[in-house]
Amino acid sequence: MPLWFARGLRRGVVTTRYPARPDDSAASLPTPPAFRSWRLTREAADRMVAACPGPALSRQDDILVFDVGACTACGRCAAVAPDVVASSREFELAATVRSALIKKIPIRGGER
Amino acid sequence: MSQQLVDQLVALGGLEVRDRGATRGAVTVRMLPETLEEATHALAGKASIRLADMFGDAATLRLVWALDPGYLLTETEIEDGQYPPLSDVAPAAFVEECEIYEQFGIRPANSKPLNRLMLPPHAGPDFPRLGHRPAQPPEDQPPEEVHASHTVGGQAFEFPFGPVRQVGVESLYYGLVTSGEEVVDVYLFSWHKHRGVEWRLRGRTPGEAMFFAERAEGLSAVAVGWAFAAAAEAALGVTAPPAAARTRAVALELERLYNHAAAMAALCQATGLTVGQSAAEIALERLLRVNAAAFGHRYLFGVVEPGGTTRGPDIEVLRRDLPAAYAELGRAGDALLSTNSFVDRLEACGILTTEQARRLGLVGPVARATGLAVDARLNGCRPRSGSADGSPYGDHPVTIVTGDRGDVLARFRVMLGEAAESVRLIAEFLDAGTAADRARLPRGGGQGLGWAESSRGEVLAWVALDEDGRITRARLRPGSVRNWRGFDDACRSQNVFTDIPIIEASFWLTAAGLAR
Repeated sequence: MPLWFARGLRRGVVTTRYPARPDDSAASLPTPPAFRSWRLTREAADRMVAACPGPALSRQDDILVFDVGACTACGRCAAVAPDVVASSREFELAATVRSALIKKIPIRGGER
Repeated sequence: MSQQLVDQLVALGGLEVRDRGATRGAVTVRMLPETLEEATHALAGKASIRLADMFGDAATLRLVWALDPGYLLTETEIEDGQYPPLSDVAPAAFVEECEIYEQFGIRPANSKPLNRLMLPPHAGPDFPRLGHRPAQPPEDQPPEEVHASHTVGGQAFEFPFGPVRQVGVESLYYGLVTSGEEVVDVYLFSWHKHRGVEWRLRGRTPGEAMFFAERAEGLSAVAVGWAFAAAAEAALGVTAPPAAARTRAVALELERLYNHAAAMAALCQATGLTVGQSAAEIALERLLRVNAAAFGHRYLFGVVEPGGTTRGPDIEVLRRDLPAAYAELGRAGDALLSTNSFVDRLEACGILTTEQARRLGLVGPVARATGLAVDARLNGCRPRSGSADGSPYGDHPVTIVTGDRGDVLARFRVMLGEAAESVRLIAEFLDAGTAADRARLPRGGGQGLGWAESSRGEVLAWVALDEDGRITRARLRPGSVRNWRGFDDACRSQNVFTDIPIIEASFWLTAAGLAR
């Protein structure tokens, strides 16, 4: 134990590298949605907010507010707006502050 | 058998309800309040009948009786906020008497003290509950405590444990009464996790409510989801397509496998056998990865939906990976059974007798380890109709594994036997054909009862829908709700402190399922 403690102090690293290797099973996991803002309309946003069983989605004017910390990756938003939502394939969601989990997605559908 | 019972209840003034107002999926009999106690006497006195659940709303008390096979449901109008004291006749009713009092403010017509079950002591009038709205107590007074008073006398003292426990274990408070080392009494406070799931289901369609039903007891997501979906389907008079029903059964047996592996790991942890724990956890992780690869979710959420299933299993993955994952579990189980220091801790520990299990209405491996062959998978046919209700276990009968000693070792052996049976059943279901398929749900109202057999035992769900197809009242009764009431009896049977984690692991219940 003292050896590991001393080594950690010297190198400034107290844990091993993460992940040690990619995890194959991660491809099977449900992950939170990624939104295509250029396809996102107010109507689609409202459909997704209504379909979300938790408080993960809300709309503030032309902004879709996505709370990743409240998302269970259930896929209901993708079911009601499949052209807007893709799976993020991102499951490493840890953050040091709560606000970092709140994403604000501009509604830009129809702009181009 | 059910016709004889109905005749007996009709002789007591009961009225069988067949059409409008009946609960589909069960025989429904409306009883008068003045004869309910006598009817309960008549039903509880029969060895082959079990009080499976009791719930209510502001005006009606419902008792669900498990027959062999099928279910009988009695309904009684509540007068003056009271009903006959039923737990004096059927001890299995006591927990529900406490719950009904908390939710609706109605109670048995006696002075028996009732325990606090779900609502925390600080729950004010605005706290979510299904019906009862008590008056706001003055701010300078402590909240009303409804927990039955208890005294600790002689040399005994009370040792509080929880609600925050070691890593990964749910919030649960034990009051351990002891005279030094032997467990004299145990009582539980389980309200720390109460989420008001039944309250949250009101006003939603069955499809919207499924998300919450699955989360009533996340480790039984498939079983609770299936029971809830079956209740909604029964209420609307539809049946899931056979291939979808077999898909549900594959998911249910996978759920049983990983839960039994997790219980094995917990037993090793409780007995201090870290090598065995690691072996069981490796098997558990492999099974969870099989779940993810086959159904897209490690804990099998989102597979069941009212009317059918959202997705079919990846058959190739299951045929390729499941045998190896189960072999890992089997190797760990065999090694543990040949480890004397492990078996010695399990033998004669946490004993429940067949009579205790029957009187308390226990279910699952806990009941089967005492010799009771109770299993909701045996209910392959609806009572009366004689036709298959969509249960795939009618065509693929399950072999029930039982024990006879009622101790932790018997429960462990039952789990190992059930794991092998689950693998066999999954292979049969895959051969028979699985698919993502669903029946269209018609719009309309009704009441229905559904059930499934989780790894913890029978799950029941009762749903009432209005004419718009929205839920007016839903009752979810996971297996944990039944079996926690047997936990204190098992702990009291000449056990010491260090046996309690072993007994808890062998029950493998969730606090969430009870405090839903």
